[in-house]
Amino acid sequence: MRLYPLLFLLLLVAGVLAVLVGSGDLTDPGLRDTFLKLRGYRLAAAFLAGAALAVGGVVVQGLFRNPLASPSVLGTTAGASFGGQLALLTYGVAGVGSTFIVPEMLVPIGCFVGALGALAVLLLFLRVTQDLLALLLTGFVLSALFLSLSAFVTSVAQETWELGRAVVSFSLGSVSGTGPRQLAFALPLIAVALVACWFWGRSLDLLLSGEEEAQSMGANVGAVRWWSAIWVSVLVAGAVSVGGNVGFVGLVIPHTLRPFAGTKHRRLIPAAALAGGIFLVGCDIVARLIPSRSEIPLGVVTGLIGAPLFLLLLIRLRGERAYA
Amino acid sequence: MRNGNGHLGLRARGVSVTLGGRTVLHDVGLEAKPGEVLALLGPNGAGKSTLLKALAGLLPYEGEVEIGDVAAASLSPRARAKRISYVPQRSLLRSALSVEEVVALGRYVHGGSFGGMSKNDRDAIDHALETAHADVLRGRIFTQLSVGEQQRVLLARALASDAPILLLDEPTAALDVGEGMAVLRLIRTLAARKHTLVVVLHDLADARSTTDRALLLKDGRVVEQGSTADVVSADPIRAVYGVKLIENARIGFEPDSGPAGAE
Repeated sequence: MRLYPLLFLLLLVAGVLAVLVGSGDLTDPGLRDTFLKLRGYRLAAAFLAGAALAVGGVVVQGLFRNPLASPSVLGTTAGASFGGQLALLTYGVAGVGSTFIVPEMLVPIGCFVGALGALAVLLLFLRVTQDLLALLLTGFVLSALFLSLSAFVTSVAQETWELGRAVVSFSLGSVSGTGPRQLAFALPLIAVALVACWFWGRSLDLLLSGEEEAQSMGANVGAVRWWSAIWVSVLVAGAVSVGGNVGFVGLVIPHTLRPFAGTKHRRLIPAAALAGGIFLVGCDIVARLIPSRSEIPLGVVTGLIGAPLFLLLLIRLRGERAYA
Repeated sequence: MRNGNGHLGLRARGVSVTLGGRTVLHDVGLEAKPGEVLALLGPNGAGKSTLLKALAGLLPYEGEVEIGDVAAASLSPRARAKRISYVPQRSLLRSALSVEEVVALGRYVHGGSFGGMSKNDRDAIDHALETAHADVLRGRIFTQLSVGEQQRVLLARALASDAPILLLDEPTAALDVGEGMAVLRLIRTLAARKHTLVVVLHDLADARSTTDRALLLKDGRVVEQGSTADVVSADPIRAVYGVKLIENARIGFEPDSGPAGAE
């Protein structure tokens, strides 16, 4: 199979570029180590977030048998983002948490609580109805709710210039400020969730034929749904905590990969993790290269690359009538 | 013969199904034995497919369904799928999986969580594809196949699970005469291998030619049950369909021994 050598080659190129490209001067021996370290963190953060979001996209699309689904459909991304913003605001305004939690960990914890909160509401609704449409609609409503709450947090944060800037920067998505503590918190979360998603891959393959057929082939549909939703929210919380609200990775990467890696989840998930990581590292390099007074937010770059690419894929898919 | 769980029969007693507050199946009892094909007959809306899904455990039901001597309700989805395989009329699969990958899904019930395909899995897939005459389709994309070819692949997927009981929902619907005949012959082959088969059929002539016993439903109730020759006879047919049965009135077909008849 030629896909993996290609992906590893791309990863190598992206990794080298990510370390070399930037506004800092690497020839200065006094600053060189610091720059390399910061870019290393940044590279790791972008790769982790990209891997997590891409695999989140693969799992959600399999779960809903809908190529237009993404973690944001579950409301998990919006929940994680709101949680992160709220953590920033709480810390900035009241200094809450500064005495017992190191500040770098406050955002990841906020994201995680936000994502789990969104998930808890979703699962509560799932106990009332097992209907897939109801699940999708609940996800949409949750997204809208968390976006409104985020807007509220942003407007409150505007009262302090520094805080407002931090909250807006977080909601636009950026890996520039990610430090080792945030990475140390996100890495095990994302790693465990990636393995868990791969573990559920065979059950997700069955779900491609719909719930009834999946059940007739021996899948415990309820358990597959619950656990997939849980692992997706862990992935998203990890990704948002190191990269902020970055969109389109979970939509574009699975579509781009399927023609090469196939549809079976156990083949698609590792490839998506690699490709998603490479994609976000690449986007972060582009963000650094675009001339601007301040750096272009990562979420803007993924949107600018992701949206047209997604539209192209959609047109191609329509031509092939390959989606339900 | 591949039949992992030995020969198992299927028995239902007092099965009722209520959907959306309406009882669509009333107190149905049936028995299907290994080596036997049981036809579920009746007009549209009689409850044939509902009964089949209840037997497969895909719908909540009241009453008892027994697989061998075990209550089906006590089995996990995986344990049940090892014993009963359900073949839908059409698959909802829209993803670009190859035929081989689709048939491999049938092995899910036997797979370890981390393991790949074992030799046993691959043998079962090969054997299922061969039995369902779908081996020539192996590399093709499932969604690009004709309805008849898809039906053969779905049968192969069910066979790959090694389940001794097969439930088929209108396997010949939308097939042309050659494809339909191939599926009916396959049903007889499987019965000869001591599978237990319950088949929803629309065509009463097909039921007469292929099945041993039949259960005739109307408005969710059993009207007649017994040997297919007795059930598909003048009185029950008039009572259920409101038509007169004329023996030997239809044109008939039989498989050609030449290449045109081969699948």
